[in-house]
Amino acid sequence: MANGDSPAQVELTIPCKPEFVGVARLAMLGVASRMRFSYDEVEDVRLAVGEACTTSVEWAEKNGRPKSTIVLRSEIASDRLTVDIIDTAGSRKEDRDVGGDQDDENLGALLMTLLVDEIKVEPQPDGTHVRMVKHAGQR
Amino acid sequence: MNFKMETRTSEKDLPIIGLEGEVDVYTAPQLKQQMIVLLEKGAREIVVDLTKVDYLDSTALGVLIGGLKRLREVEGNLMLICPSARIRRVFEITGLDKIFDIHNSEGDARNAAGKETA
Repeated sequence: MANGDSPAQVELTIPCKPEFVGVARLAMLGVASRMRFSYDEVEDVRLAVGEACTTSVEWAEKNGRPKSTIVLRSEIASDRLTVDIIDTAGSRKEDRDVGGDQDDENLGALLMTLLVDEIKVEPQPDGTHVRMVKHAGQR
Repeated sequence: MNFKMETRTSEKDLPIIGLEGEVDVYTAPQLKQQMIVLLEKGAREIVVDLTKVDYLDSTALGVLIGGLKRLREVEGNLMLICPSARIRRVFEITGLDKIFDIHNSEGDARNAAGKETA
């Protein structure tokens, strides 16, 4: 359990592919269990991080970048869990008419917003950096 | 990855797609494929049984919404069996519980089959 000292960090790199999103979720389940989270809050983190990875995977496919990776960096502090999801899946600019799966994407974004306390999405030269924060001990 | 899918036929020829495990970006395409097969065979009502599902993400929701749309276009319906509060919560927080016909058991879904939906 994290205490008042410096926050513990856990980092994992996965291939940006559908079959590895489950690995990220499993790791997040372990990390979130270190926090003073309720059962539902642990589930929220698992789902939110899963959605973030899914979005990365979808963009890697759209951009034709099968060798992309996702770095998941969690910082376990006593009062908050911060998770950085950094992909190399290329730009998220919709410059062609893709059609079809847009509803899913909006749903994923909606879920992330609803499940964590803070979320920030920043474009990077090679991909996207998503930062999520979930506060602990609010109830 | 832990995922299983098995399609059974209930009385009244009602097809039920039973899912087990994690329905996500990796496994949801199998569900989509199965729904397309049933639609092409002429199914107008399909039940998706989520009783044994322990994880469901936006990709799975997207596939279910797609199936519902296609079935409603032919005046059919997609029904869900979802007794688990944890999985139901995903539908509730996204507001999709108001769009889907969600039942607690196979019996409930069977009773609702063939009846007019809103």
